[in-house]
Amino acid sequence: MANVQAVCNSFKSELLTGIHALGTTVVRATNAVDSLKAALYYTTASIDSSATVYTTTGEVVGANYTAGGAIVSNSNPPINSGSTAYWTPSGAFSWSTVTISTAFDCVLIYNTTQGNRAIATYTFTPVTVSVGNFSINMPTNNASTGLLRLS
Amino acid sequence: MDVFTTKGILDRSQLTVKDIVTEEDSVRVIATEWYLGDEMVRRDVNVNILCGQSLGAEQGSV
Repeated sequence: MANVQAVCNSFKSELLTGIHALGTTVVRATNAVDSLKAALYYTTASIDSSATVYTTTGEVVGANYTAGGAIVSNSNPPINSGSTAYWTPSGAFSWSTVTISTAFDCVLIYNTTQGNRAIATYTFTPVTVSVGNFSINMPTNNASTGLLRLS
Repeated sequence: MDVFTTKGILDRSQLTVKDIVTEEDSVRVIATEWYLGDEMVRRDVNVNILCGQSLGAEQGSV
């Protein structure tokens, strides 16, 4: 055996569950899982890693799309596997009979429990939808493909 | 089977359907277009995220 410097594996998943606060943090009312939402953005928007909170600027508008987007199903806890912590929502983000006539290519996942703070953005081929169903289906929830991974 | 379209509810037999698949490194998009003659009357889209994003944790040394 030898000592090896490392970022501890447990720390990675504990970041995802809010266990550690290495700076001033928020007072959490409960130990419940936060509520998340997913909002869609036009190709002309500027949603990227600099996003700090959800914004309506550049968000899509259309029949059967409500500003703020869809609720993110989150019954999957963060998991550690080897040196990777990962998390994936437990269901697709979906809209039914929606019309979004201008091309959009981005989804922002954000935390409604914590003041709409931004979590991550994902982009895809620009699309439009016409009185149809739109869904963003999740990858396999593991250390290689999970939606959000800390390694 | 009834299909809800921009022209109201139409019978599936009246429509032709075209799937358009595009794939990037970590995302596959499947658009399903429904046509009444030459006119597109419905468009569904499924975005399949094949692989999410990874955040690397880097450590300093003492």
